[in-house]
Amino acid sequence: MTPADTTRTRSVHGTRVRRPSGEPPPLPKELNRVAVFWLGAFVAWAIIWLWVFLSDAPAIWITERDLEMMRPIVDRRVDWLTSLTEQTNAHVLTGTTFIVGWVTILGGLATKRIRHVVLFFAALALSSGIVTGIAPEIGRPRPIGIERLGEWEGFAQPSRPLTLLTVAVVGAGQTLAPSGVIRRRWYVLAGVFIAWCSFAQVYLGVEHPTDGDAAVSVGVAVPLILFRLGAPERVFPVAYRTGKTAHLDVTGERGVAIVGALQDQLGLEVTGLEPVGLAGSAGSTPLRVHVADGPDVFAKLYARNHLRSDRSYKLVRTLMYGQLEDEHRFSSVRRLVQHEDHMLRVMRDGGIDTLAPMGVVEITPDREYLLVTEFLTGAVEISDVDVTDDLIDQGLRNVRALWDAGLAHRDIKPANVMVLDGRLRLIDAGFGEVRPSPWRQAVDLANMMLVLALRATPERVYERAATWFSEDEIAEAFAASRGVTLPSALRADVRRDGRRLLERFRALAPPHEPVAIQRWSFRRIALSLWVGLVVAFLALLFLGNLPAIGLWP
Amino acid sequence: MRSRSTLTLALVASAMLTVSACSVSETLDAPTCTTSSSTPLISVQSVPSAELIMCLDPLPAGWEAATVDIGHEGTFVTFDSDRAGRSAAKVRFEASCDIGDATQTPTEFDDVRRFEWILEVAPRFRAKRYYVFEGGCVTWEFDFDADAPAGMAVELGNTLRFFSRDDINAQFRDSFIEEDL
Repeated sequence: MTPADTTRTRSVHGTRVRRPSGEPPPLPKELNRVAVFWLGAFVAWAIIWLWVFLSDAPAIWITERDLEMMRPIVDRRVDWLTSLTEQTNAHVLTGTTFIVGWVTILGGLATKRIRHVVLFFAALALSSGIVTGIAPEIGRPRPIGIERLGEWEGFAQPSRPLTLLTVAVVGAGQTLAPSGVIRRRWYVLAGVFIAWCSFAQVYLGVEHPTDGDAAVSVGVAVPLILFRLGAPERVFPVAYRTGKTAHLDVTGERGVAIVGALQDQLGLEVTGLEPVGLAGSAGSTPLRVHVADGPDVFAKLYARNHLRSDRSYKLVRTLMYGQLEDEHRFSSVRRLVQHEDHMLRVMRDGGIDTLAPMGVVEITPDREYLLVTEFLTGAVEISDVDVTDDLIDQGLRNVRALWDAGLAHRDIKPANVMVLDGRLRLIDAGFGEVRPSPWRQAVDLANMMLVLALRATPERVYERAATWFSEDEIAEAFAASRGVTLPSALRADVRRDGRRLLERFRALAPPHEPVAIQRWSFRRIALSLWVGLVVAFLALLFLGNLPAIGLWP
Repeated sequence: MRSRSTLTLALVASAMLTVSACSVSETLDAPTCTTSSSTPLISVQSVPSAELIMCLDPLPAGWEAATVDIGHEGTFVTFDSDRAGRSAAKVRFEASCDIGDATQTPTEFDDVRRFEWILEVAPRFRAKRYYVFEGGCVTWEFDFDADAPAGMAVELGNTLRFFSRDDINAQFRDSFIEEDL
């Protein structure tokens, strides 16, 4: 073995393995072969365009070959086919772009795929920009020496209508069609249709064959690469199953990568994994991991979509309420998962009954990580058990411990308050905060009391709370609490409960002035103006681009 | 690093989006007689029946071509003027035209008939001028802002030139491919 080989040997220490420098991560980030092929085709055309720009020789050669291909076709024109191709040229081609474009935008919005819709629009605009920039530089006339029967506008290469049509159908596939058989069938159908439209343009003598080739290269490469980079299928899958879009598919290559990563990085021999508790989790993909020689473990998979959800959530909160609490966004998935792991450990050190952290596992560097903790086998949500005085005390004791440790949980809801063998556990420290505002601590107390009261009477919860907190503190908690301060799941549970729990707690507590939750600052005003300007700019850009991208007649 | 690349990406995307907002008509050059641009080639193709092909000399000071549309229906150019206003003049090169009540006037070009139709002189100058020839027609339309002198129409109209299809085909055959446009 040479010294070079030695550096690539996997370092095994106990049951854990260190990934040596140069070895790919469990789930490498990559463009797939199809995207690389179309990127290559696009680059090839870019080189040809540059060559044509510098010299007439390649333009003459390409035009001669084009005309050789076209002549046998145009020399055999027949009336019925001419009529059909004229209809295609005049109406079907642009009409399909218009219809597919709007169906994709509206369908994407209806299925809440805002990211896909933005990328779809960007792909159309970028492709249109490429054609607009390239065509006058190439300056290719329409086919020469051939009678032109159809409609056309401007220079021939790359074909603008075929570029926009191709972008529209490829973007539609990426936005609306689930990956797999359905998307493949859509692309086959779209390919046949594009080929027909390209043939119609050639048959009518309005474009050369290579004008269509170049258009298809641009029209496939641009959306494919934009979607691969901006909404990779692994992270933003197109699926119509019920459930939250935050949840990632953990089968296939990601599943294999997770199993391998848990083995290498934590020394866990995984025999299976399954999504668990999806209904209560919107910010990650929670998994139950079966281990060969030990108890099951719990893993939360975080990816870029979760990071972006966190950013959007914080931006909206800042716009709606100002800097109520720490609304600074995480700059990477790694930092997001590091934060939760750290909060779990700080809470545990502070005496809060939470999950025992087992570490962080890297799936794709800076993109996907697993936070691994113990799994509470047999635990149930607090809303599924009879809430005894002991459980009430445990819940309140945990809030007291949070206060004493200078922490806030910030996401107390039934799904995060679990009970196992009579012991209450406060899980999910992702929103946790060190040294929160007094307002935030008060809200934690109110939310815990509401959770407990869902399966007990407010009077009983209040009575027990009075032994852990002063009446003024309880009054402050409910003065600070209102609909928007409740996690949405808890808000829904309280509404469904129908006992007007918030009002009943307020009636039990001493009177207290409501605690304002609107915070006005220069930053909030500036941010609101900035967001308004960006939205207005994008709206104007969108409307201004509609004719150029074929979405306005 | 990440925010810088995001900013760069946003700037590039904005630039591309802005470019894409330009329609075809905003990116073509006017078919000028002296340019090396390819625009005259597709202008020739836009009216395949025409024996004569129009082109434009450099525009007088204060005028600029605002939009240029060239396609299967013909060649259409609109002009903005710093004195006569936006879209103060238009020129259309088509296979045929309806000269309406226009009156024939002496012409400066061989094999071309010229017609004039003055619609209004003051306060706004509005007029149409037609050049009719074998297989084609060029129409000028002037619609000036109030107080813009009518003489501006003469200045702009004088930029029009014609060359024969045979000449341009011969030139094209010499420099490119043995085919007619």
